[in-house]
Amino acid sequence: MIEIKDFAFQYREGTRPVVSGINLTIPDGAFVGITGAAGSGKSTLTYALNGIVPHCYPGDFYGSVVVDGLDTCETALTDLSRVVGSVCQDVDSQFVTSVVEDEVLYGLENFAVPRDQMEGRVAQALADMGIPDLRDRVISSLSGGQKQKVAIASILAMRPKVLVLDEPTAELDPASSRSVFELLAAYAREHGTTVVVVEQKIALLSQYADLLVIVDEGRIRFADAPADVLEHADELKRIGVNCPRSTTLMNRLRASGAYAGPAVRTVQEACEALVEVVA
Amino acid sequence: MSAFLEYVPGASPLHRMNPVAKLGAAALFAIACFCTSNLVFLAVLLVVGFALAASCGMVRQTIGLAKAVFAFSLILAIVQILTTPAGAVLVQLPWGYIGTGSLLAALTTVVRLVAAAIPLFLVFYVTKMNDVTNAVVKVLHVPYKYAFTFTSTIHFIPVFMNDMAGIMEAQTARGVEFDAGGIVKKVRLMVPLCVPLLVSSVRKTNSAAIAAEVRGFNLRTAASGYKEYPFAALDVAALAGSVVLVAVAVALGVLL
Repeated sequence: MIEIKDFAFQYREGTRPVVSGINLTIPDGAFVGITGAAGSGKSTLTYALNGIVPHCYPGDFYGSVVVDGLDTCETALTDLSRVVGSVCQDVDSQFVTSVVEDEVLYGLENFAVPRDQMEGRVAQALADMGIPDLRDRVISSLSGGQKQKVAIASILAMRPKVLVLDEPTAELDPASSRSVFELLAAYAREHGTTVVVVEQKIALLSQYADLLVIVDEGRIRFADAPADVLEHADELKRIGVNCPRSTTLMNRLRASGAYAGPAVRTVQEACEALVEVVA
Repeated sequence: MSAFLEYVPGASPLHRMNPVAKLGAAALFAIACFCTSNLVFLAVLLVVGFALAASCGMVRQTIGLAKAVFAFSLILAIVQILTTPAGAVLVQLPWGYIGTGSLLAALTTVVRLVAAAIPLFLVFYVTKMNDVTNAVVKVLHVPYKYAFTFTSTIHFIPVFMNDMAGIMEAQTARGVEFDAGGIVKKVRLMVPLCVPLLVSSVRKTNSAAIAAEVRGFNLRTAASGYKEYPFAALDVAALAGSVVLVAVAVALGVLL
């Protein structure tokens, strides 16, 4: 379980807290999506989960962030990384080796995973991300989507209890983005891993997340099931978060009185709702 | 297409050799180049370098490298021509002369530098950086942090070169004419680009350091590596051959 209590953080070189008054409880195995306008503090929130703040980016840390019983402020980054796996926003700079297999092995070697388990873990992580055929490829020759999957596989191989991803689809096309989310959701379901994803593509979060967190100017504005959060479409728009187009369409129909159901999250739900409207 | 100093997969004997043996043999080869001034022997070493490149399918990359080293060594050669008066006088200079010996010395320098560079650069084209790191840690007992720092530096060279190319393309799109004018103008235009390159480099290395740390970098020990790097007959033969090259070079230096 992840428990964030009264968390606030101000970078050393900053003039005001980037995030403040954060209270959030994430149950084990949840798929959490965090979104918000640029500069709203989403990434800092994930840095608090994986210990990058305050361990790598020092500053004033208030409140507490506890992940699987470990206080991220007091626990060494290395110990924390046994529990929390992190995928950075810029995957290119995350790679420390030149070949896919070596990249996936890297964390296992560091954590001294028994040699007889390494081969299985590498194969499993690559299979979980649907890229077993990329094992011997040079990383620089891969597409953006493939690199993203390699970056995630290299973390999955370490079998973290919590997976934190910062904009994993930032440079991907819609099909690759959906593919990454589908693989993540399938992995989380199968292994009971808690997944926390910072993402701008709210349509993807609405579809795959159990809990949708909206951050605005360093504070959590909403933290609820996606369907419930999307009920606040007007307020979301005001703070710079656009609802999925299917949600906007059905909300307009609801405003005109043609539709009376709840906010829809996906194109599929919108289709079903439209069938009802037409009927 | 692979970038500068970036590993190219393959199954050639050079690819399969022990990374430490490759590094050692390449270093000995370079030492041999610097132990003699015999132009014929240096030419033979140059041919051997290209033969090694051909054996692992790296002729194109090697020619590119040879051109770059040639351009660099040409500067040294010109200095040598102008400052080493030797042999029959060809051109009289106010401070001396350019002689046949000057030209020979300059040619020797160029051949020596190109010949010495080829095996060293080939090592990086035919060896995964991770294998270089792990092998020097396991076989030579170099502390992992130092080995990782060295290989990371090599790893980032193509990354930064790509970044520089990207910045130059962006500037070209905004009207900066990198392709017009001479080398001096080009260098003058490139100097201001070093600032954004430096900023992005610092950012990237910082991200890489964090990424390594959250994957247990500090826990790494010499025993951590998955792969083992035993010496095979080919590795011993390569090292022995390189030692012979050094011995011949030294003998030629002493005798001739």
